[in-house]
Amino acid sequence: MFLTRSEYDRGVNTFSPEGRLFQVEYAIEAIKLGSTAIGISTNQGVVLAVEKRITSNLMEPTTIEKIVEVDKHIGCAVSGLIADSRTMIERARMECQNHWFVYNENMSVESCAQAVSNLAIQFGDSDDDGAAMSRPFGVAILFAGIDEKGPQLYHMDPSGTFVQFDAKAIGSGSEGAQQSLQEVYHRSMTLDEATTSALTILKQVMEEKLNSSNVEVMTMTPDKMFQMFSKEQVEEVIQGIFHVEHPLSLNTTGQKV
Amino acid sequence: MSILTYNGGAMLAMKGENCVAIAADRRFGVQAQTLATNFEKIFEMGSHLYVGLPGLATDTQTVMEKLRFRKNIYELKENRAMSPRVFSAMVSHLLYENRFGPYFVEPVVAGLEPKTFEPFICNMDLIGCINQPKDFVVGGTASAQLYGMCEALWEPNLTPDELFETTSQALINAFDRDAVSGWGATVYIIEKDKVTIKNLKTRMD
Amino acid sequence: MLQQKSTYTDYRNNAAIQHQFSPYADNGGSVVAIAGDDFVIVGADTRLSAGFSIYTREQNKLFRLSNTTVLGCSGCWCDTLTLTKILKSRMQMYQQEHNKTMSTTACAQMLSTMLYHKRFFPYYISNVLVGLDEDGKGCVYSYDPVGHCEKRTFRASGSAGALLQPLLDNQIGQKNMLNVKEEPVTKEKALSVIKDVFISAAERDIYTGDSILINIITKDDVKVETFQLRKD
Repeated sequence: MFLTRSEYDRGVNTFSPEGRLFQVEYAIEAIKLGSTAIGISTNQGVVLAVEKRITSNLMEPTTIEKIVEVDKHIGCAVSGLIADSRTMIERARMECQNHWFVYNENMSVESCAQAVSNLAIQFGDSDDDGAAMSRPFGVAILFAGIDEKGPQLYHMDPSGTFVQFDAKAIGSGSEGAQQSLQEVYHRSMTLDEATTSALTILKQVMEEKLNSSNVEVMTMTPDKMFQMFSKEQVEEVIQGIFHVEHPLSLNTTGQKV
Repeated sequence: MSILTYNGGAMLAMKGENCVAIAADRRFGVQAQTLATNFEKIFEMGSHLYVGLPGLATDTQTVMEKLRFRKNIYELKENRAMSPRVFSAMVSHLLYENRFGPYFVEPVVAGLEPKTFEPFICNMDLIGCINQPKDFVVGGTASAQLYGMCEALWEPNLTPDELFETTSQALINAFDRDAVSGWGATVYIIEKDKVTIKNLKTRMD
Repeated sequence: MLQQKSTYTDYRNNAAIQHQFSPYADNGGSVVAIAGDDFVIVGADTRLSAGFSIYTREQNKLFRLSNTTVLGCSGCWCDTLTLTKILKSRMQMYQQEHNKTMSTTACAQMLSTMLYHKRFFPYYISNVLVGLDEDGKGCVYSYDPVGHCEKRTFRASGSAGALLQPLLDNQIGQKNMLNVKEEPVTKEKALSVIKDVFISAAERDIYTGDSILINIITKDDVKVETFQLRKD
């Protein structure tokens, strides 16, 4: 009765009188500060593209890893607190390996997301399992994978809620990017189209100029499974965007975009 | 592990129509190690009389020599061939003499009775308890497998050719599922006028 | 001073009385399975025994784990009861967690890990898991008590396993046969061989007999059949 809103946002396990868990909501806010990541699911496979924020030219860009392999058939793009994401990816990898060990089959993408979700909501008071996380994870994750249902894309936020998407953007530029995805996505999209679209949209929402060292691109296809793009491959896609945007200026291909 | 399984081996005798078969593998080994693949476990004791001695290889040979000795003495004294029935009784007696320090063999006797040429088979345990069924007897380390095979394949009134096929199939398939027997087989088909001995080629592993 | 009560007064001694408990029993039983291209048949005898006594002549030893998977157990019956209960709950948990029925191959791997998890106090059971794989092909998995798993197309296990396996090698595997065509085993042939081998087993193995329960698994359904054996 005498408590003000600001006092409810302290405990992670206390609802406000309006029925809200502020810490979780703040965590969801936190990921909106993260770098932008885009995922598009097509019939041919799934593509993930993320922005890498190179805050200093003394930084080694390749050491920023925001797309990771969980298993041969599942890859993740993360945005938010990267340190937190390491814990969750570790769990995802462990669950996938355990599933393979026990059942001799690949874990489905949904089950993998479910397993990580279980970890995501284990904040608050510790129980028999030992010390729990004292706060919600500040990470949003895109799961791109292939299982018996075909190529799939799942999104999970810090509350542990996970939903399947055809195309999804997370991070700071997510609002604009999601709008663009809505316009560009169609069911018969090829994987190449999706890759180009993902980078085009990323380019639009990024503050920095898009180049082959400040983005990561990965495709998940039935024949090649998890495939991280090399610098050269990324460059190739970027050149493609340039052509589409400047169809008349073909002579400038050699220039940096 | 019993000393009966030290060398390994499979043995089988079957009755047919006016014929009997006795067959064994040819392996001689020490536990898992195979030392020879031409080891005889079946011995001719008369024109229509054969004995198989599966078990401990040293006892196979010792018992064979003792039996041959006693049989020869019998035939000299009695001046007539020893029938399978009498021979079996003698084997049983020899084994029971050593009731408390037995020879580790489980003999199988197969033959035709001298005058009637009636088929005869029997086997016994290592202290001479005789078992004389109407169909087949088995012995050695693959006896469980042999029982399964024979129980399914044997039928009454087999001709010599059929008896050979049945005996061979039963023996080979049985010892293929036993690690310490196999490596070739010998089959004796005993008829009134002839005894056919065949060495079978089998898988050697 | 400890005085041992004994009917043999001459052998009375002052040693402590030893009490031994064995956590295992061998309740016998045999399981035979044969797989074909689009079916799999598994049969188990229905005698449950211990030593020279028969507990029951009508014990089902086949456990339906899903519409395409059946497990046949022989060995220690109390372990069988426990294992199959846990298996059933694991099947249900998988169904609910992953929104699909566990495949035969997944089930085979799970059983292996479950058995190995009790490596140092094993379930004393000879398991034979049969079913249709993802392509609808019949398959048979056999296990040792600590989880070694082998995939085959035919298997005999349990108290009469040693008697029956060479017969299956010969009749189904066509081992040591000359000039034979390699053709897939038919359902009729598999069924008649299973009945024949059990008749043989009942002749010589005292732990196998009374009758057999047969499950015929196809993509459409699981048919159950019984067949009488000698009861002595």
